Amino acid sequence: MLFKTIMAEQIKLRHSPVWLAFIILPVLSAVMGTFNYLQNIGILQDQWYSLWTQHTLFLCYFFLPPLLGVYCSYLCRLEHTNHNWNAVMTAPVPISFLYLAKLTSASVMALFTQIWIGILFVLSGKISGLTSPVPPALPVWLLCGFAGEIVICALQLFISLIIRSFAVPVGIALIGGIMGLGAMAKGYGVWFPYSLLCLGMRANRPGGPMQCSVPGFCVNILIFLILFMTLSMIWLKRSDVVAE
Amino acid sequence: MEFKKTRRRNVWVVIAAMILLQCVWILRIFNSADRIRDGWMICLYQFPLLNSIIMPVVAAVIASRLCDVEHKGQALKLLETVMLPGKLFDAKFLCGSCFIFAATFLQFLIFLVTGYLLNFTGPVPAGRLFCYLLFTATVNVTILLFQQILSLLFVNQMVSLSAGLIGALVGLFIMFFPPEFERLLLWGYYGVLMLVRMDWNSTTRVIRYYWITADWNGYLTLTAMFCVLYLIGRMLFIRKEI
Repeated sequence: MLFKTIMAEQIKLRHSPVWLAFIILPVLSAVMGTFNYLQNIGILQDQWYSLWTQHTLFLCYFFLPPLLGVYCSYLCRLEHTNHNWNAVMTAPVPISFLYLAKLTSASVMALFTQIWIGILFVLSGKISGLTSPVPPALPVWLLCGFAGEIVICALQLFISLIIRSFAVPVGIALIGGIMGLGAMAKGYGVWFPYSLLCLGMRANRPGGPMQCSVPGFCVNILIFLILFMTLSMIWLKRSDVVAE
Repeated sequence: MEFKKTRRRNVWVVIAAMILLQCVWILRIFNSADRIRDGWMICLYQFPLLNSIIMPVVAAVIASRLCDVEHKGQALKLLETVMLPGKLFDAKFLCGSCFIFAATFLQFLIFLVTGYLLNFTGPVPAGRLFCYLLFTATVNVTILLFQQILSLLFVNQMVSLSAGLIGALVGLFIMFFPPEFERLLLWGYYGVLMLVRMDWNSTTRVIRYYWITADWNGYLTLTAMFCVLYLIGRMLFIRKEI
């Protein structure tokens, strides 16, 4: 049943250009980050690690959270408009599956984005003439970043379920991303959902250890994920459907 | 009429959140006497940077809130039978501009109040502050115009918001590029019209801020971009099939 619900979610997204932004944004970040790296190669001497920071720092704080917000807003807008909630909520499908299908759809897009960021990073490094081997921790950075992205997707889906506007949740994601910068600076990154992406990706300190322990990071990811999933399901079960 | 449509749509909440965020940001910056000494320059350096990240998204949100209401209710069909589409375009733009001007002015008030409360050293650079207000308002309004065109032309608001995000990313990165690149894109004008530059000495790790003259040629280019965008956008909206 869950698989069928996920497939239904994918059918709703057919021919939608939603994936384009996920292709373009990392490309722009990679091109500009690499250019900036090459311009300041005298100061940025940590080779792959410096290049990684240039590629991901701004992307993780300011641009990926709102972009995931756009995607989640779009997933919920499909139901908010054309009275679709009436049809969806009366379908013989458990409410938890409806939410999980949307979360899976957003997470798949997040996974592809991470793979794309990784490919662009390796390509940019080769083009920049970096001769040392690619950091072996790269898959871990991408995987931890992906975990952070799932939490942001879960939160943004919850916000988009409550706020029926398309744009406001995106604004909230931007504010969250910027506040995440503050949380990271103060050392509370692991306690703030929007910081988890940057923390997992090691965007500001790729060479060193994570700001918190890896098990602590994983536990917090799970706690946030369960929290936002539970809140969303309670919201869907308790609140009356408002369709436009 | 446009303002009535924004009732209970919480457009002000977005602006208030942005202002609050900037207050927090600026309070975090001024944590030493050195910084208070260069207070006005730091403000005029930091705010354009902050604007290049936040304002394109805020403009996209405002434009989307104003235009999406017509798409959702399929109201364009009705509206265009009672008024000229060009006037509708202008009315929406003027309404959005009021929000953007208010946001710009509130931001300006923040750093005036911060300057007085923290006793920034030296006289108030009134001329430069006025230039900053003029430049920021013009860039913001031009970006709002671009976003409104997208929000009106595409029913799917994902297009306009993604464009806003991409613009913000490009605008931020392009500030670190050679200056000639900044002039090519609308979002680069936060950097082109900056009145302060920073010089970072990598050996001593000391930051020095210094004034630069206002780039009026850049301002004129931006104004020309605004006019071209306005004419093209308005024409496209008038010709759009509803």
